[in-house]
Amino acid sequence: MKITDMLNEKLMNLDLKANDKAGVINEMIDMLVYEGFVLSKKAILKAVMDREAIASTGVGMGIGIPHGKSNTVVKPSIVFGKSIKGIDFESLDEQPSYIFFLIAVPEDSANEHLKALSQLSRRLMNQEVREQLMKAESTEEVYKVFI
Amino acid sequence: MKLVAVTSCPTGIAHTYMAAEALENAAKGKGVEIKVETQGSIGVENELSEKDIAEAHAVIIAAGANVSKERFEGKPVLEISVSEAIKSPKEVIERALKLEKKNYMRKVEEIKQQRSEERTGIFKHLMTGVSFMLPLVVAGGIAIALSFIFGIEAFKEEGTLAAALMQIGGGSAFALMIPILSGYIAFSIADRPGLAPGLIGGSLAAQVGAGFLGGLIAGLIAGYTVDFLKKNIKLPKGLQGLKPILILPLLSSLFVGLLMIYVIGRPMKGLMDVMTAWLQSLSGTNALLFGAILGAMMAFDMGGPINKTAYTFAVGLLGANVFEPQAAVMAAGMTPPLGLALATVLYKNKFSQGEIEAGKAAWVMGISFITEGAIPFAASDPLRVIPSIMTGSAVAGALSMVFGASLRAPHGGIFVLPIPNAVDNLGGYVVAILAGTIVTALMVGLLKKNITGSVKVEARQKI
Repeated sequence: MKITDMLNEKLMNLDLKANDKAGVINEMIDMLVYEGFVLSKKAILKAVMDREAIASTGVGMGIGIPHGKSNTVVKPSIVFGKSIKGIDFESLDEQPSYIFFLIAVPEDSANEHLKALSQLSRRLMNQEVREQLMKAESTEEVYKVFI
Repeated sequence: MKLVAVTSCPTGIAHTYMAAEALENAAKGKGVEIKVETQGSIGVENELSEKDIAEAHAVIIAAGANVSKERFEGKPVLEISVSEAIKSPKEVIERALKLEKKNYMRKVEEIKQQRSEERTGIFKHLMTGVSFMLPLVVAGGIAIALSFIFGIEAFKEEGTLAAALMQIGGGSAFALMIPILSGYIAFSIADRPGLAPGLIGGSLAAQVGAGFLGGLIAGLIAGYTVDFLKKNIKLPKGLQGLKPILILPLLSSLFVGLLMIYVIGRPMKGLMDVMTAWLQSLSGTNALLFGAILGAMMAFDMGGPINKTAYTFAVGLLGANVFEPQAAVMAAGMTPPLGLALATVLYKNKFSQGEIEAGKAAWVMGISFITEGAIPFAASDPLRVIPSIMTGSAVAGALSMVFGASLRAPHGGIFVLPIPNAVDNLGGYVVAILAGTIVTALMVGLLKKNITGSVKVEARQKI
């Protein structure tokens, strides 16, 4: 499975409205719930926030990758979000974050999904990938980055 | 240069892989080879093989979750958080490259340290005395050996360099040897007030010819006398200041001194003379047996009490101009680590990867006469390793005695061998060390079992 197989343009928002970390996570989870990929908003929100409590997933370089596992996740999903103004995501480098990938997986995910997610994580460490994502103005362009 | 790394994080979805990627990129940028094992929710990927670990200069563990370190025994390990690997991978790589391979050496140091802390009672006091005496013996013995460069009798010519060297070595360093031994034995027992009577008792022991045995006894008597007086002399408050400065040193020195002169000195001298004469006349089978026993003692506990007994005995005899036992104990003390190092090369299937790595450091320990270097091997398989190294050391000790090899420096391993006149019958001595090393390795090959199966990779916890 490729990264692109897991992307869904209905799960992309290139102009997040939220002003803070909790808001961003909320806004992105709402998309999952709205599209029916997650049955319980409460459960996935708790899983993601619990993970943030261990250590912030704001890894720096303008990136945040909140993620969580929950049985109420119907299908492993990636939500892409972008904040034009930048958000304080409690980043390692203490700089604002602009690009977010929220990852939701069921407790017993198939390896192929997890592999694709690991590939996504690796790709984000590449500066070129990050720059292209910053520039992307349409869901199509986001999609193209990972082709 | 090669590095290995393990990355792991709580959920195992993102950070594990970001850290891996970051480390790989940073290493690539520096032209360093790296293999990164990821322990994520998918399970273990790109698993490190024993070979990878063996080849690696150092190990980086970037983990939020627990990663077992058993596999990396003997390797320098840099433990950091996953975030650190993602945030500053270049610095992490640099730090890992700077790590030195000293874990094994450090382990041996720790064992030595622990042992000296465990020592109690008379043995501890004797070892304190010996440790203060040793530098004198080293400096003195080598100075004397150097004086012989000009000829065995050259020092008798006054005003020559040979005479000066002899004055340094024989006249001063060796003259201080027994007083210092005795003084610091007493110091160890009774602290500072013990030093004066100990030095005096030791000096008398040397003067009456009671040698290092006399010095040992003088030190013990001085120490325990002061200890006894300290506890039992009660003075009015106003006079208490006089106790450590006047009363203790005076009374104890008189007691020890008179005892040495009138009671103990003469019989101790007799004993030393008999022993010295016997040792000097040793030849053939007796020399062989004596050397074998000294050698086996050196290997038996690798730096423990039995080893130190044999060693101290040999060092003490240097002061009595008996040099052969010193050669035997040094040869026998070098062969355990040397033989094991050789065994790790000859019998790779009998040692764990960590031990094979440790074998490299064991060479260095061996040539430096650090018998303790054998301990990590003996600890993991004592019933097979200890008989092996005892046999090898017995061979080394016996051959050294039979060849009549002698050694004037009490320490230094192979580094004292090139010093002119430090060793007599150098050729025979080298043969003795080599033979002991080879016998040790062969015995290990004979006794030690093959390690079966691959190293168990423990179940790794995943959240």
